[in-house]
Amino acid sequence: MSLQQGLAIVLQVKDHGDSDKIVTLYTLEYGKIVLIAKGAKRSKKRFVNKLELFSLLAIHFAPSRHSSLMRLDQADLLNPFPRLRENYERYIAASLLCELVLHWTREHDCDEELFRLLVWALEGLALAGGAVNRTIIFFHVKMLDILGYRPDLTGCLDCGVLGAPGVVYRFSTMRNGLVCSRCESQATGNTSQPLSIQTIQLLRRAQDMEQGKLERLHFSPAATREAVALLKRYDNHLLQREVQSWSFLG
Amino acid sequence: MNVVPPALSRLIADLNRLPGIGMKTATRLALHILRRPASEAQSLARDLGELHRSIRLCSGCFAFAETDPCGICKDSERDGGLVCVVEESADLMAIEKTGAFKGKYHILHGVLSPMDGIGPEEIKADALLERIRNQQVREVLIATSSTVPGEATAAYLIKRLQEEAAVKVTRLACGIPMGMDIKYADELTLSRAIESRKDTCS
Ligand SMILES: [Zn+2]
Ligand SMILES: [Zn+2]
Repeated sequence: MSLQQGLAIVLQVKDHGDSDKIVTLYTLEYGKIVLIAKGAKRSKKRFVNKLELFSLLAIHFAPSRHSSLMRLDQADLLNPFPRLRENYERYIAASLLCELVLHWTREHDCDEELFRLLVWALEGLALAGGAVNRTIIFFHVKMLDILGYRPDLTGCLDCGVLGAPGVVYRFSTMRNGLVCSRCESQATGNTSQPLSIQTIQLLRRAQDMEQGKLERLHFSPAATREAVALLKRYDNHLLQREVQSWSFLG
Repeated sequence: MNVVPPALSRLIADLNRLPGIGMKTATRLALHILRRPASEAQSLARDLGELHRSIRLCSGCFAFAETDPCGICKDSERDGGLVCVVEESADLMAIEKTGAFKGKYHILHGVLSPMDGIGPEEIKADALLERIRNQQVREVLIATSSTVPGEATAAYLIKRLQEEAAVKVTRLACGIPMGMDIKYADELTLSRAIESRKDTCS
């Protein structure tokens, strides 16, 4: 069987028995794939230093005849992003990005745009002085867009208005949009934290902004907190599971 | 129809839960135990049953030990001013085998891994800091693996030790393996080796 090749980011690495590793990769060409790296735990040469979280690799792999697991044949390290392991805050952030891609994607569901977004975000986190939380929020908003889960932030789902004076806005995960305090019935029981107009507008700008212009967005600490809480709740609701890395974010 | 007797299939299921043991290996091990004399199986069962009763965590270094404090923490010949931080018991055993380390240990029983829900609390980071502050420790040698989680854990501990304890912090040197031609070393290893180069006249 001929080898397939691709570009990949390492999302997860697990030991498998005494000598092998199971790696989950997000690839440019095939989406998320799970491969077995034979001898990776013991071998001094072939995979050492390469099958590490967040690393950008050029890989060669083969479908296995004996099991459903495909076999990783060769990996060349293109970028290990060393700075992501030298700082705990950046390590948490990079872990979160990888965990999001791990849970939000299906195997063999290829998406070039998402791959490029992930590489771009990891590069951004590795930069000195890069704003970690802003990169996370922007990545998440863009990822939802790419995957077709854009939350509707244009205005209250019922009255269509945004920014009416004295009105409080909450995000409804059930209805995937904003509901204002005038339209909200007691029965829906949305007890989530209200979103400030400033946070809603920042998230809307992020939805429509190109990656290169990210530094134009300035999230205040309060807006960051609100946006993070919203995205975390959105993940829990749609994935029906907890994304663990969120709880370590400072 | 189920052809495997229930007692055997329970043992296979138990073995199958161990790390790295698949169904095939579990079945092979169970059949092996069955074919050997009953006394061997009884001895194995006794050892397993004793495990949790006789082994506890040392309250000083968190090593598995039959006594608290453990043999290493109790040993007055060893230098209590030097503490080596390792990820797990197997790492302690590897370092002990070299005979090159005469200090004491702290075992983390894991590494920081946000995706698995493992944070500073789970690796007992506070206990380490408290020990360093209270026990006149001069130097902490961080000996976590050079994997991403191992290095991130080291970075976290180094920062906290520097900020919260007046102690010298060192890291295991990371470089070219003995007997390796440098032109075959990967770039990351080689650049780390250059960073952690050593003065030859010391
Ligand atoms: Zn409304
Ligand atoms: Zn001890």
